[in-house]
Amino acid sequence: MTNDDPIVFIVDDDIRIREALDELLASHGIAAHAFASAGEYVNADKPKRPACLILDVELPDINGLDLQRQIADGDHPPIVFITGHGDIPSTVRAIKHGAVDFLTKPFSDAALMQAVRAAVAQDRKAHAERAELDVLKQRYLDLTPREREVLPLVVSGLLNKQAAVELGISEVTLQIHRRNVMKKMVAASLADLVRIAERLQIPVTHSRRTGEE
Amino acid sequence: MTITVPYLDRFGFALAGCGAGLGLARLINVPIGRVVALVAAVGFVMAVASLLADRKRAKRVSSKAEQALRIIESMPALAWFADADGKFLYMSQSPRVFTGLPKEDLVSTKDDEFGFRNVVHPDDLGRVLKAWRHSLRTGHDYNCEHRMWRENGGYRWYRSFGLPTRDRDGRVIGWYGTTIDVDELKTAEAALREQERSLQQLIDTVPALIGCLSPQGNPVYFNKQMVEYTGLPVTQLGSFDAVVEVIIHPDDAIAVHNSVLRGIETGEPFGLRHRLRQSDGTYRWFDSRAAPMRNAAGEIVQWYGVCLDIDAQMHAEEALRRSEQKLQQLIDAVPAMIWSKEPDGKLTYVSKRFTETTGATLEDAIATDGISCLNVVYPEDRAEVDAAFTRACETGTIYLQRHRQVRRGGTYRWTESRAEPLRDAAGNIIQWYGVSVDIDDMTVAQESLRDRERELSQLVDMVPSQVWRLTPNGEPTFFNKRMVEYLGFHVADTDKPGMSRLEAIIEAVHPDDAAEYRNALNHCLASGESFVMRYRLRRADGVYRWMSSRAEPLRDQGGRIVQWYGLCHDIDDEMRLYSAIAEREARIRRLIDSDIIGIVIWDLDGTLIDANDAFLRMIQYERADVQAGLRWLDLTPPDWQEVHAREEAEELAATGKMQAREKEFFRKDGSRVPILIGAACFEGQSRQGVAYILDLSERKRAEVALRESEQQLQQLVDTVPTQIWCVTPEGEPSYINKTMMDYIGMKLENFDAEGGLRGAIGDLVHPDDREALHRALSHSFRTGEPFALRFRNRRGDGVYRWQEGRAEPLRNESGDIIQWYGANVDIDDMLATEEALRNSTRQLQQMIDAVPANILSYDPAGKLTSVSKRYLEDVGTPPDHIEGFEELASRLVHPDDLPVMLRRALDGFATGMPFVNRFRRRDRHGTYPWIEARAQPLRDASGAIVQWYQVSIDIDGEVRAHEALRKREQELSQLVDALPVHIWSWTPAGKLAYVNKRSLEDLGISSANFEETTRVAQELIHPEDAAEVLRTSLSCLKTGDPFLMRYRRRWKDGNYRWIEARCEPLRDRDGTIIHWYQVSIDIDDQVRAHEALRQSERSLRQLVETLPAMIDCADPNGEPIYRSQQLREFLGYELEALDGTEKTRLDGTLDAGVHPDDVAGVKERYAHSLATGEPFARRHRLRRFDGAYRWVETRAEAMRNAEGSIVQWNVMCMDIDGEVRAQEALRLAQERLARASQAASLAELSASIAHEVNQPLAAVVANSHACQRWLTADPPNIDRAHRTVERIVRDANAAADVVSRIRALFKQSMDSRVSMTLGSIITETRELMAEEALRRSVRMEFEFESGLPPVAVDRVQLQQVLINLIRNGMEAMDALASGKVLRLRVRSVAEALQVEVSDRGQGIEHPERIFEPFFTTKEHGMGMGLAICRSIIESHGGKLWAETNGPPGATFIFTLPIEAKDAA
Repeated sequence: MTNDDPIVFIVDDDIRIREALDELLASHGIAAHAFASAGEYVNADKPKRPACLILDVELPDINGLDLQRQIADGDHPPIVFITGHGDIPSTVRAIKHGAVDFLTKPFSDAALMQAVRAAVAQDRKAHAERAELDVLKQRYLDLTPREREVLPLVVSGLLNKQAAVELGISEVTLQIHRRNVMKKMVAASLADLVRIAERLQIPVTHSRRTGEE
Repeated sequence: MTITVPYLDRFGFALAGCGAGLGLARLINVPIGRVVALVAAVGFVMAVASLLADRKRAKRVSSKAEQALRIIESMPALAWFADADGKFLYMSQSPRVFTGLPKEDLVSTKDDEFGFRNVVHPDDLGRVLKAWRHSLRTGHDYNCEHRMWRENGGYRWYRSFGLPTRDRDGRVIGWYGTTIDVDELKTAEAALREQERSLQQLIDTVPALIGCLSPQGNPVYFNKQMVEYTGLPVTQLGSFDAVVEVIIHPDDAIAVHNSVLRGIETGEPFGLRHRLRQSDGTYRWFDSRAAPMRNAAGEIVQWYGVCLDIDAQMHAEEALRRSEQKLQQLIDAVPAMIWSKEPDGKLTYVSKRFTETTGATLEDAIATDGISCLNVVYPEDRAEVDAAFTRACETGTIYLQRHRQVRRGGTYRWTESRAEPLRDAAGNIIQWYGVSVDIDDMTVAQESLRDRERELSQLVDMVPSQVWRLTPNGEPTFFNKRMVEYLGFHVADTDKPGMSRLEAIIEAVHPDDAAEYRNALNHCLASGESFVMRYRLRRADGVYRWMSSRAEPLRDQGGRIVQWYGLCHDIDDEMRLYSAIAEREARIRRLIDSDIIGIVIWDLDGTLIDANDAFLRMIQYERADVQAGLRWLDLTPPDWQEVHAREEAEELAATGKMQAREKEFFRKDGSRVPILIGAACFEGQSRQGVAYILDLSERKRAEVALRESEQQLQQLVDTVPTQIWCVTPEGEPSYINKTMMDYIGMKLENFDAEGGLRGAIGDLVHPDDREALHRALSHSFRTGEPFALRFRNRRGDGVYRWQEGRAEPLRNESGDIIQWYGANVDIDDMLATEEALRNSTRQLQQMIDAVPANILSYDPAGKLTSVSKRYLEDVGTPPDHIEGFEELASRLVHPDDLPVMLRRALDGFATGMPFVNRFRRRDRHGTYPWIEARAQPLRDASGAIVQWYQVSIDIDGEVRAHEALRKREQELSQLVDALPVHIWSWTPAGKLAYVNKRSLEDLGISSANFEETTRVAQELIHPEDAAEVLRTSLSCLKTGDPFLMRYRRRWKDGNYRWIEARCEPLRDRDGTIIHWYQVSIDIDDQVRAHEALRQSERSLRQLVETLPAMIDCADPNGEPIYRSQQLREFLGYELEALDGTEKTRLDGTLDAGVHPDDVAGVKERYAHSLATGEPFARRHRLRRFDGAYRWVETRAEAMRNAEGSIVQWNVMCMDIDGEVRAQEALRLAQERLARASQAASLAELSASIAHEVNQPLAAVVANSHACQRWLTADPPNIDRAHRTVERIVRDANAAADVVSRIRALFKQSMDSRVSMTLGSIITETRELMAEEALRRSVRMEFEFESGLPPVAVDRVQLQQVLINLIRNGMEAMDALASGKVLRLRVRSVAEALQVEVSDRGQGIEHPERIFEPFFTTKEHGMGMGLAICRSIIESHGGKLWAETNGPPGATFIFTLPIEAKDAA
């Protein structure tokens, strides 16, 4: 089993459902890990693989929808909700908060598998993006404090002269810093640097026009 | 001179006769000269007669002639004879012997001159000669007294007799005569006459009536006083019976008769008091006493009686007795109980009425230890009464106490007793005078008023609403108890500094509502509109609550608002419309009634549409009669009806008017009233109009009165017992009245028309008087002087009677006589009486001594001149010498009486006025009996007093009786004056006859001020009461009904005080009213208290009546006894309208008023409340007068007395129709919500069910897919497929279990089953469904078989089934427009109870399928209801099925086994 093979987490209090889904996913060749409650799931040590979370709405310790909200901030796999009796408000709420699908028991094999695959694909993509950003973040951490000051000014489009005045240093010094930043951040051009800064969510603090005034 | 012997002989006899006569006269010594003379004359005549008879014998005795001559010559008298011409031929003695004068000087020689002419006293001569000549002419005997000269000087009296002697032919041939010296006789006679006269005077002047009776009792003599007094001489009263009949008062006749007869029988002196008739017909009281005079043999020869005028005394005594009697009557007759007692409480007097009323006499009261009148005080009140009296005694204030008094027969009544003390000079209380008045009626009335007031007050406080009252400017003046409880403060607490009361109230209003509240209220106060508003009001605990407040103004007649009444509920306001109409009607009525003449609005069909008060008064009908359909024909007497129908109606129809005409109407009592009536049609219509009627009875009465007056005058003239006549100035008789006609037995027409006055006189007048009468009349006619004459007139029977005729002229304005009016009075009897009186002169001295009274006489100087024998006997000490008056008095009169007696007597002597003295005089035995002495002077012609006469009688008994009487009178008078009430008495004519002293003091009047009823009314009675009091009292005077009124009387300080005046008549035995007695009690305080109470009661009543709620009061049995106006108007009938039916008032009201669907419930609840005393509160529909049912909320609470028992139910009924309808809408909404939530919970249930089922299903599906994949895999994974199939089987079973579990849900309550009757569950279910049934307009009919056995059921589950079935039935009938009836029937069938619920809906298509779960015919149904029902019923061991009960409708039937143990 490779790191890229997906894994499906199942949270349902009903053992029969857990067994059945485990069996079904197994028949499709997908690994599954079932939990009887939300607490078990949250506390469990989960492998770093593309994953999907099949979450029952009615849980003994917490409502599935509430769990979705709790873990929304964290890095969690896309969720496929299953429920004994679905109602529209619950469905809407779940989808708005990013659920992949909302299935009412009993559901068909096809529907479930389509949802699971979509969720895994979504998770896989999210994993890739997360890995790239991690590299950029590491590079940014390698910058000196002065260079971290220079970066926003540069990506804001300020002229070297303007940025130097801003920081109270000479234009030459600034140009040195700028060159270092470009190099450390592996930016091919200023435009590349701007895109990287954008991904790192470094705010553009100055506009050139402001500086001219 | 020749002497014929025989003649001498005869003279001898004659003289002997004279002598014998004289001798006899001397012998008898009768002191009456006239008698002597008569005897002498008789002797002489006898002698002469015998002489003449024996003329032939005379010759035989001639021989004795010489002797006779000698006798004649020597007898002490003159004898003479004369010839037929009267010439004296012989005289027996020489006149010289007789006179000392020569014969020639004495004797006249003329023939016809009496012989002694020259010696006869010149004064007598004429008479002597005249008599002599008369005798000579006629031949009659000569008899004459005259004085003659005697030789020894002076004249002496002589009497001369002469007899004629005749020849055979009867011719007078000579005269024989004698002249006798009668001087001594004359003198004796004069003395005797003087004595007789003096006695006569004495008897006649003695101030007493004196009479003599024969031994048989017949009157034989009356003294002058008696005769003058009675106007009758004794001769007119020949017998005792006549006396009794004529002069004794009829009332005394029997007593007098008996008394006299007894006296005559026994010979005992007797005396009595009686009334004696005076000549003028009046009666006076006399004290008559009589004693007999006996001869030597002891036989009674005469009775002497004296009558003393004691009229004044009797009147005084009578007055005193009357006064005493009056006081006694007054005390007994005043309609109050009167008593007096001593300060120690001992009763000393009780009035008759007290005894009559209480049955207790003074003796009873005294017998019970004299403990006041406590034995008639109701035992419970005794201590209090005792204490009050003791207190009054200690403080000396007025005693005033109300208590119950035990009455004859054991009942008791409320009585008010008042008493005031009488004090002696030192200020110590010596007596209490009290009066007890029956105030039971008043007390009871007051009590009932108080009860009523309390009830109303309680009612107002108890009505289950907040009630309040505002002044016209909005200041709250009253909160009822609930209001106070609600607000937590009283009205008085709203007085806060710096703000009005209203503002203080507004403070309690929620700030959000306060402004609107203030504006609305101010607007209402300003405009007078009803106040209706909902607002939040702060409760005592600070919580604001919504109040629906409503207030209405109370207006006075002038339309001004006097009060605002409000409460917190809504009502309809039909009332205002009503009052507006009433007011308009009243305005028009005032307009009509203000007129003085009668006004009637009529219809041509003969009915009176309306009439004003003036007209009603005229015909004395009530307004109600007019409203009841009074018709003209009812008023019109039959004789007018035709005229009415023909002329009047035609005239009206033709001209639209009817000229005023006189006719008569019937009054209500059937009497007629003359009236003047005019009429006119209303403009623009001919059927109706107005008539004006004027009362003419006054005018008619005046006409009749005039006619009667004239007739009466005519009767008067005809009836007066005097003959009245009229003569023209020419002397033509022109009129005589009936009396005269009757008298003369002729009518005016019978007079000779030609004869005129002279003819009339000739017809009627005694011949002797005719000339004089004619002369006198002619004189008067000529001169016009009044005519007066006495003459004899012929009566109809031919008898002439003396008349005194008088006439006077009537002159016209110019002084000409136009008529003479005359009257004749018959004075014949009077003259006869006078005549008779003159003849009475005898038997006086005896009388004086015999009369049983003491008679004394005094000379003008007061010296005693004579005393009667009886005086001497009584006083006992015959005075040796005649004493002076003063001397005598001081010896005999009691020292205590002397000064007064003496002064009065001396005054009398000095002034000459008669006087009367009463004093004690010492009698023979040394005791001092009371006597009354009257003295009266006798005066001579010149008016000088010549003698005083005094008569005294023993009045000892009377004086003592008098004293006793006076004492009693004084006591009673004191009693009457001391009583703390006003006592008056009235004559039957309504004059004030007596007023007690207290009245005078209190009212500040003097008794002289008032007499007339009207005057009393004007002066003393409050002007507002006067007319009514006067009217009532006059009516009482007329009818004799007792008078009882309360009115205000003015006190002396000018203030009016309320009194209660009772007046009752006292009647004599015939029932005639002889007096009215009135007692007036000061009830001012009571009346004011009463008034205050009434004011409060009225205010509360107004409050109750004005409250915008309907109020009803019922007795403890629930019977209504009072309903407020609002309720009566709502129901449209009076409470009394329910009486007389078989139903009670309560049932009547409920059956008639309460909606049929509600009546059973209301009755049941009401009965429950009545039985338990729990408050009643229920909403139901009540029929309004117009037939509409309105929702009302009825609340009733019991009012309990101090003991806690129910005395009344106060019921308040509020019209909440609007609220109920609003609430109904609200409930519908709520129900929808409930149904929605029910639906929601069903959805939840179904979700839960779904979850339970889906869970295993989902597993099955997933496993099935997995299994499929394992089997289709290459190579197929049989193991795993097998495992999945095992799981599929397992999960499918689990799903089946779920369904089983759901069904098991309904079996969980098995253990809660208990044995009970189905009735209570069904009743409860019915209650639960009642509102829904109402809303759906479904009528539920429940039918129970009686005596159903109990079953073991789960109450809740069974109710679920019932509700489900009922609701299904109702829903099935939703589409029906009417006739929605749901029937529920319970009966016992075999071993089970069978319950059937049937509707009238469309019925069921699939009677069995409907019980399958999720089968439904309803749009929103779950299809579970009937399935569940069936499972419940089956769990109870019963069955549930449905039947189509034929068109229309369906019936659901279920059974339950009866035996509880079979249920499992």
